[in-house]
Amino acid sequence: MIRDYYNRHALDEKLRGAPRPPSANHLAIGHRQAVAMALAMAGEEEAVEKLLSSTTEFAVRFSAPGEWLVVSENDTPEGLQRRLDALCSARVYIVDQSEARVLFRLSGPSTRRILAKGIGLDLHPTAFAVGTSANAFCGHIAVNLARTGEDAFELIAPRSFAESLFDDLMTMGREYDLTAAFAA
Amino acid sequence: MTAYRLTTGGLVDRSRALSFNFDGRPLRGFVGDTLASALIANDQLLVGRSFKYHRPRGIVSAGPSEPNALVTIGPGARSDPNTKATVAELYAGLTARSQNRWPSLGFDIGAVSDLLSLFIGAGFYYKTFMWPAQLWEKLYEPLIRRAAGFGRVVLERDPDTYEKSWAHCDLLVVGGGPTGLMAALTAARAGLRVILADEDFRLGGSLLSETQAIDGAPAHVFADRVVAELQALPNVTLLPRTTVFGWYDDNVFGAVERVQKHVAEPLAKLATERVWRVVARRALLATGAEERPLVFGGNDRPGVMMAGALRTYANRYGVAAGRSVAIFTNGSAGYQAARDLHAKGIAIAAIVDSRAAAEDAAPEGTRVIRSASVVDTKGRRRVSGMVVERSGFEELVACDVVGMSGGWSPVIHLACQRGAKPVWSDQLSAFVAPDVSGRLRLAGSANGIYTLSGCLGDGVAKASVIASELGFKPAQDALPETGEEADPSFTALWYAPGAKSKAFVDFQNDVHAKDLGLALREGFGHVEHAKRYTTSGMATDQGKLSNINAVGILAGMRGVKPADVGTTTFRPFYTPVSFGALAGPARDKHAAPIRKSPLHEWARKNGATFVEAGLWYRSAWFPRAGEKTGRESVDREVLNVRANAGICDVSTLGKIELFGPDAAEFLNRLYCNTLLKLPVGKARYGLMLREDGFVHDDGTVSRLAEEHFLVTTTTAMAGGVMSHMEYCSQVLWPDLKVRFCSVSDQWAQIAIAGPKARGVMQQLVEDDISDEAFPLLAAGAVTLKGGLKARLFRISFSGELAFELAVPAGFGMAVADQLMDVGRAFDICAYGVEALNVLRLEKGLATHAEFDGRVTPDDCGLGRMVSPHKADFIGKHLSSRYGLTAADRMQLVGLKPVDREKDIRAGAHLLREGMKPSTLNDQGWVSSACFSPSLGHHIALGFLKSGRERYGERIVVWDKLRDQEVVAEVCDPVFVDPEKARMKA
Repeated sequence: MIRDYYNRHALDEKLRGAPRPPSANHLAIGHRQAVAMALAMAGEEEAVEKLLSSTTEFAVRFSAPGEWLVVSENDTPEGLQRRLDALCSARVYIVDQSEARVLFRLSGPSTRRILAKGIGLDLHPTAFAVGTSANAFCGHIAVNLARTGEDAFELIAPRSFAESLFDDLMTMGREYDLTAAFAA
Repeated sequence: MTAYRLTTGGLVDRSRALSFNFDGRPLRGFVGDTLASALIANDQLLVGRSFKYHRPRGIVSAGPSEPNALVTIGPGARSDPNTKATVAELYAGLTARSQNRWPSLGFDIGAVSDLLSLFIGAGFYYKTFMWPAQLWEKLYEPLIRRAAGFGRVVLERDPDTYEKSWAHCDLLVVGGGPTGLMAALTAARAGLRVILADEDFRLGGSLLSETQAIDGAPAHVFADRVVAELQALPNVTLLPRTTVFGWYDDNVFGAVERVQKHVAEPLAKLATERVWRVVARRALLATGAEERPLVFGGNDRPGVMMAGALRTYANRYGVAAGRSVAIFTNGSAGYQAARDLHAKGIAIAAIVDSRAAAEDAAPEGTRVIRSASVVDTKGRRRVSGMVVERSGFEELVACDVVGMSGGWSPVIHLACQRGAKPVWSDQLSAFVAPDVSGRLRLAGSANGIYTLSGCLGDGVAKASVIASELGFKPAQDALPETGEEADPSFTALWYAPGAKSKAFVDFQNDVHAKDLGLALREGFGHVEHAKRYTTSGMATDQGKLSNINAVGILAGMRGVKPADVGTTTFRPFYTPVSFGALAGPARDKHAAPIRKSPLHEWARKNGATFVEAGLWYRSAWFPRAGEKTGRESVDREVLNVRANAGICDVSTLGKIELFGPDAAEFLNRLYCNTLLKLPVGKARYGLMLREDGFVHDDGTVSRLAEEHFLVTTTTAMAGGVMSHMEYCSQVLWPDLKVRFCSVSDQWAQIAIAGPKARGVMQQLVEDDISDEAFPLLAAGAVTLKGGLKARLFRISFSGELAFELAVPAGFGMAVADQLMDVGRAFDICAYGVEALNVLRLEKGLATHAEFDGRVTPDDCGLGRMVSPHKADFIGKHLSSRYGLTAADRMQLVGLKPVDREKDIRAGAHLLREGMKPSTLNDQGWVSSACFSPSLGHHIALGFLKSGRERYGERIVVWDKLRDQEVVAEVCDPVFVDPEKARMKA
């Protein structure tokens, strides 16, 4: 018996039905991406950091000293694993997190005010520039937060918390007519 | 009619009238009014009855210190009790009700308590505790509770929503008066990120009530100009209607913004109130100063008000509180009020000055009575005159308002909320803030500088210092021009002697000067004792007007200086904050996040009943048609697993992957059993101890490759074990080369158990999973038919032949569907955590119901797992303590009711037959219990003294909760298949 299993997104239930047209403030949910945790081997931390930042094939998010989340829009989970192995061979352990994390991409003019309702970090551009990432609490939920543009942020949250975080973000954004849909 | 709206003047918008309602009376006010100013404009000065004596009380102040004008605002579930009319912004359709009166404000039966006041003085409440004891609960308490009090809380669900928000700035300015505005402007122009918060709905503070010109313009016009400039700057956030209520560690401030408290129908998309947590590099308190009331006989009669409030009502709101105003003062502020009111055409009956001489100028033609005191007031629900006494000569002065001015107290609450004690200043006759670190400073009146020019200048100066400290360059702009100013001094007068009736210190809690005397006489003269004994300063206004006078009076009574009495302790909140605002959005099912397994939808689709397990929702059982109770479903699921096969969602268990050359050594030190030599492709049960030798957690350890491990934890301890590992790696053994990462969310994990489990799995898995190829405790990667990569473990928590299959989370539901599909031929069923629990109980397997933090491995019969050969592991050394190895420790046993019809519940205690229940006679307890469908009767696990030696003995299960005793037989904890033949199949 040959089976092609259907991959179900953690927010399938929440985002069922035709999406509303996006408003100025919009929450796009990443649907198909590869996420991996890169753990530098002892003594290889600096080398790995350098190698990871040497390419634009994927985005690198700081997770802990010597640990990064790598996010790729183009690779499959296996592809990303191979790419990272090739890039940092024998310097890093790669753990697939593609199914463990849900990506929330928040953009629009009110993004900072929306995020301030849950996140205690100072998101002023002088304190949290484009490209910065950090672990933070959004309300009660631990996320990895990255600034991807002047008015664009990405939150990476554990899959099991995705529905709760989604509800929280929509509540935080209701004042600014936040809309949500799966990313194209 | 005595109080009225002036024909001109004020900052209210006379072109925009608003209708509102007080105690059922329709009234009108203007945009820009507070409820208090609109009530005064409608001659409604009487607004409530006092807390204890039910005396008629009127509006006293024009701000947040108001002790009397507490009303309930809003209809039904939206009603807010104890709202200060003096800060409540008027809006169209506002409904307000007076409080603590019955049947009406004008005629209140409770007022009889005023006649009984001899018997209900300070401390009477405590005295009712003493004797006779029976009367307390039956008589005193209900009576006191009914008679005393403020507004009533509404028991309906609050329909409003609340939220929280963080804010960050270089400088937080608290207070938007002359000092705060200039400070914010100076800092903002220099480039600092500035937040300016003010509790008023209009920024400007005292400038809105000021008649003095600034830069040739009225003060409020100057304020508007500054506000407009601030508003235009991108580095400034203005927060009107926002009270900064607390100062916390790391210079974080709490503030509450009343986002929609000034509208009848709040918008659904906005929160009604918002709590701000402001992280400020520096903060400046520009909170101003509070005018002190004077303590004189009859000072609580409606119409006796703060002189400064009279100014504010006249200048800012265009309202006169009366037609003939008398002033009682000890300083210049009383004269200032008289001049302003006189200029508005309000008659000044007299100025009574406690001082012998003063430079202050009274309005032309006004009678000034110096070296005099007010000893009483006349009138019923409204003051009609005051008795002035000078050198024994008493005189009745007719008036309909008495304005009192007792000097100034800087508002220093926030600065003293973190333990710093206020210090007494002889020069200012006031308590001022001590130096509380450069991160929070005070400026203007809050700093004891009371002139307008002084405030403007101090705001600029302090902001400039702060800007320079933070590396900004403040501009040297010229200060605004203010012209000639009066000397703001006063001579402290704590108590006007010769009071002919009650002289109130704390209006809100009905504490008068004699109560303080009683406290002192009865040994409660310390300021903290006097506060509790008399309740002075313990009402919702927290003694904003009264505390300083209470200190002064106690000092006078004791013959010492106020500095020797000191103040009571300042604590957050500066003014009351609603519970709704503090809870924010974390309410109902949002009180904590919900975690869902990747198989949640699969379980729901299969009809699961869910149970909350920590943050998780886990499937408890899967009822089928005709099953009326959970027990029926659970029994069927258990029997089906033992007879055929079942699948269960075990995704919630913690999963951590470890890598590195020292990963094996790391785990070997972490767990009490040996793991160093665990072969690749094998799983092993692992038991983890705490440093004190008790069990921490258990799970499995699988070696996926030489330097690659996967450990599982219990659901509850997933986070705890992860941080324990972080601690061990970073603090205890930083030299070990190991990296690890939680993969709990990456995998959907399904247990497949039962004699037909292999048959089911073979339908799905490409690989050979026969017992030879994949024996008990095998672990490794497999490929599902169709190509999906998965992990398979031959582990069993049911005693049956069992597998755990892990697939990437998103595929969990599809794979579980497929298992159910192909399993139909094998009579598979879904089973939940309840059946899981029964299955493990029948096998005598321990969980955290047993590992309750008091239990050693040997207690649970796992003593053989503690390796005697390892050099070290966490918990090794303290495991050998005498108490942990004693022979009479409680040991895990099984229990069966002798009468098989009886049941046993967890939590019951164990006693020898015939012994009385007592701590001394306690033989142990029941940790888990269930009905065993495999055996057809109840079974239980418990801990019993030297239990393993006592199999066969009869013991009493004493269940006090159900008041039931059951005789049980002590037995081996493994009830089913002790030879373990089934799981090896």
